[in-house]
Amino acid sequence: MNKEQFLKQLEGSLKRLSTEERKDILQDYEEYFAVGMENEKSEQEIAASLGNPKQIAKELLASYHLDMVEQTASASNILRAVWAVIGLGFFNVLIVLAPFCALVGFVFSGWLASLAFILSPVGILFNLFIGQFIIADLFLSFVLCGIGIFVAMGMFYVTKYLTKGFVRYLKFNITFVKGGLKHG
Amino acid sequence: MNVQFKKGVLELCVLVLLDKQDRYGYELVQKISDQIEISEGSVYPLLRRLTKEEYFTTYLQESTEGPPRKYYKLTDKGREYLHELLTEWTEFSSGVNQLIKEGVRQ
Repeated sequence: MNKEQFLKQLEGSLKRLSTEERKDILQDYEEYFAVGMENEKSEQEIAASLGNPKQIAKELLASYHLDMVEQTASASNILRAVWAVIGLGFFNVLIVLAPFCALVGFVFSGWLASLAFILSPVGILFNLFIGQFIIADLFLSFVLCGIGIFVAMGMFYVTKYLTKGFVRYLKFNITFVKGGLKHG
Repeated sequence: MNVQFKKGVLELCVLVLLDKQDRYGYELVQKISDQIEISEGSVYPLLRRLTKEEYFTTYLQESTEGPPRKYYKLTDKGREYLHELLTEWTEFSSGVNQLIKEGVRQ
């Protein structure tokens, strides 16, 4: 691979980034090639020592997606970041995907439970229709509705803090989990 | 050596190299790869990340030959982080060395 091929592959894999950031990154590698050639190395040698441009791009993209999550913790941003970190290495499937699924399951079931509680008076309405209405059920459903609102408020904070914690975990992963290092 | 392990250490190496003087990317990579086998391309993503975390600032400086070079300069925050990592590393490595001394038959 020569300089042009290397830079082209890298650029192609970084399309998601802003033009400015992409240009900045490419400039770094161009500088690297230039200095390497001053030191009498061939383009091929330098490209080989840099490693696979796609792997480099993966690492840069993972950092980028994590920054995006820190700016806005939307569901799609989180999913992209998780996906990008998983892509860094096979090992991550286990240590990122498994806790992620567990957390999503927990958060989802929490919200579902609170929603079911809050909507329980609707069930009473249904009973009224089919002629099974008991006044005690009505009171019970109001109590459940109240509990549901509390659970929802709790879930709001739980979701927020779990998201924050998980993003920190992803960042920690970028530092320590394989990405662009030679096996040796 | 174990890959996961080396990657965390790479961060420490870069910080150590910038403690005394500012350096440019190529220089950093060469200094490290003289001692440890690394995939050289992965140092730049690391440099960008640490720059975003405000451990470094960068500036361009003309060189006598070729294009201007981007120099990395350690900030106070970066220096603090370096000392944290150094303490951890020293404790860790002296612990391992002690175990080796006791455990390996001469």
